[in-house]
Amino acid sequence: MTETNILEARGVTKKYPGVLALDAVDFDLRRGEVQALVGQNGAGKSTFVEIVAGSLRPDSGSIELDGRSFAFLDPSRSIELGIQTVHQENQLVDELTVAENIYLYALPRSAAGLLDYAGCFRRAGELLGGLGVDVNPRRKLVSLTFIERKLVSIAKAFSRQARILILDEPTASLDKKGKNILFDVIRKNTARGLSVIYISHNLGEIFEVCDRVTVFKDGKKVSTKAVRESNMNDVVREMIGRSSTSLYSRTRAAVAAGGKELQLVDYSRAGIVDHVSFRVRAGEIFGIGGLVGAGRTELARMIFGLDPKDSGRLVYEGRDLTPRSPEDAIRKGIGYLTEDRKGDGLVLGRPIFENVSYVRFAKGRSFLMNLGREKIETGDISRQLDIKTPSLTQLVVNLSGGNQQKVVLAKWLYAGAEVLIFDEPTVGVDVGAKAEIYRMMEVLAAQGKVVLMISSDNPELIAVCDRVAVMRNGRLVSVLEGSQITEENILRYSMGVDEKE
Amino acid sequence: METTTSPVATRQARHLNQSLVLVGLIIVICVVTAIVNPRFLRVQNLINIFQQVSILGIVACGIGMLLIAGQIDISVGTQMSFMGVMLSMIIQKMMGLPDGNVPQWQAALAYPMAFVVTFAVGLAMGAINGLTVIYSRAASFIITLGFSTAYHGAALLLSGGASYMLFGKFELLGRGRVVGIIPISILFFLGMVAITFIVLRYFRYGRFLYAIGGNKKAAFVSGIATNRVTLIAYLVVGACNALAALILISRVGSALATTGDSYALDALASVIVGGVALSGGRGSALSIFLGVLLIGLITNALIIMNVNPYIRDLVIGLIIVAAVSVSELTGQQRS
Repeated sequence: MTETNILEARGVTKKYPGVLALDAVDFDLRRGEVQALVGQNGAGKSTFVEIVAGSLRPDSGSIELDGRSFAFLDPSRSIELGIQTVHQENQLVDELTVAENIYLYALPRSAAGLLDYAGCFRRAGELLGGLGVDVNPRRKLVSLTFIERKLVSIAKAFSRQARILILDEPTASLDKKGKNILFDVIRKNTARGLSVIYISHNLGEIFEVCDRVTVFKDGKKVSTKAVRESNMNDVVREMIGRSSTSLYSRTRAAVAAGGKELQLVDYSRAGIVDHVSFRVRAGEIFGIGGLVGAGRTELARMIFGLDPKDSGRLVYEGRDLTPRSPEDAIRKGIGYLTEDRKGDGLVLGRPIFENVSYVRFAKGRSFLMNLGREKIETGDISRQLDIKTPSLTQLVVNLSGGNQQKVVLAKWLYAGAEVLIFDEPTVGVDVGAKAEIYRMMEVLAAQGKVVLMISSDNPELIAVCDRVAVMRNGRLVSVLEGSQITEENILRYSMGVDEKE
Repeated sequence: METTTSPVATRQARHLNQSLVLVGLIIVICVVTAIVNPRFLRVQNLINIFQQVSILGIVACGIGMLLIAGQIDISVGTQMSFMGVMLSMIIQKMMGLPDGNVPQWQAALAYPMAFVVTFAVGLAMGAINGLTVIYSRAASFIITLGFSTAYHGAALLLSGGASYMLFGKFELLGRGRVVGIIPISILFFLGMVAITFIVLRYFRYGRFLYAIGGNKKAAFVSGIATNRVTLIAYLVVGACNALAALILISRVGSALATTGDSYALDALASVIVGGVALSGGRGSALSIFLGVLLIGLITNALIIMNVNPYIRDLVIGLIIVAAVSVSELTGQQRS
């Protein structure tokens, strides 16, 4: 171990059933540096930092710290060694004061064994002052702004003698001013020897605050470079890599403009979706790409009438189609396959045939159900989608992920929608079912339906879609067509490579 | 990771199994009771059992459908008490009981008036419970617990703590028999079970109850008007309670502010023992029917066997605890 490194990981490997999450990763962190960790979803960044933080055990490899070598770390040892993680989500308690939050793991006690509030406030004040954070330790967390909360989280990490700080998307929901305050705190403390692992999708920030950048792809480390010797385009290219094997391909339909179109007009909700308008042509598959959190699902939920919106209209063939509720949306011919099929797509404890006919019956008006017809028609659709089950009376909970997703699809096909929004339709779905879902989307498009697909799987967007819109921070930043639809372009727009802050 | 057949088969069979277990339990109780006291098997006693459970059965049908939709109403007992006091007062006043010194037309209107007001009050209470649960988004258990106490207070206020006698009037519903053999109340009970069966099996509305109880969010995204369906379920509970209150008062022949109170827990016990999932989405008319029968049978058996009558509540309480524990445990295994 060299003198300049505080942490060295060698050959760290982590397997999950069917996935090699980390493949013999070597990683060095220098004293006093900020090192960025970038990569697409599933590249292995989170797995790696969880191993460093001790919440996951690697299958093989070693981690060396201060010249001591470990096969794995557990959370308490990791804390003892000065490794602290500041998570993306707020993990503080709203109703407690700043000082109590910081020392929650070991609140100082007075001689009588009661809580020593005075000591707690004094120590927290000294800690915050030392970090250059201007927050009163007596304030309750609820009264703090986003940036103040983030800084308190960092202070909490420091209170336990952090020497290595893992920051996971630290600037999410921070404005420009907040970012600057955060970066100042980071710089001030790295100058005193703190080392930072900085996970972010925002390349602009990385090139502003980091010393080196490490790229992960498919569980492997691709490179570590000084940011001075790299640029955003190189990083994006390395994130994609050369191997972009497509499982599925279709010829783009290139539906000409001027035919039937679904117009989305000015969809907005403060802080979430920012005045999004675009047109989707009937007969095309229209993709929406972007990073997780870019506002795509929120947009879909607004279109479907599930979530409130500040503005936004849906126009189809000159008719206003804007739904007030999912019930209304369905009557107007809009369907939405949610991204969370177990949460709001399926009734897991009920049989397949019931799940398939919910929307159809919700649309209907008669009191009685025609059970004979239901049996025949749900049977037909299930065979058409090749849902693998001995009987349609089986409970949905017993099906595999792919077959469950086919049941969701069957539900909307049976209801007969004109506009269908697919939200991450192939997450957790096997290869065979994926192809089946793509084929169905193609059939729908060929029938002249409006098909939208939200996906974070960029090769999937490229393989399946005729056009791809990219969203970033709630805004629609680009609509890619034809040869512009490349993984590199989708990523560049998703990450704001060409934007000036 | 394709579907395997074996666990599926067991799961599908479980509903049937549970019903079979209940039938088995019912037979065991019958045999034991008959050995201890052969009078148990007399036709008259068997008819008695059915008559005794018919009121409970009607309440249980309403509660059962509500539970399938994932909601609960524990105010049914005090609802019935309130309605009982109200309808007894109406009959007493309009018929001028006990003397009968009122115009004939007024006396003739007493029963229709009692029916109309009772059903109106039942539906109103259902609406109050349902709307509050829906719009407060609070747990229905707590909301209806609160209303239960409020209805109890309302019944006390209305009755002033007095008992309202009917002096032999209004006896047909609770004590009348068809061709002198089959009590009318049994027909209402069986009719209600049949309606529940048809609604749950053949009506869109019944399908929606299961969907909402199984996964409310998924039901909403599927375009099911979850609020409307839930509200109707509470209205149905209110209507069932109104019918039950009419039969109860007719049978007892008088009303106190607490006459119906015990039905809340007994009805819940019945549907839960029968196999309606407390968490919603599971259960049937058959499970409600068998659950009611079991609770009625236990009550009757304890009386027939000359056991200290106070043991009844102890036994039924423990049965509820056992049934809920088993149901939740199997439910957890499922997911």
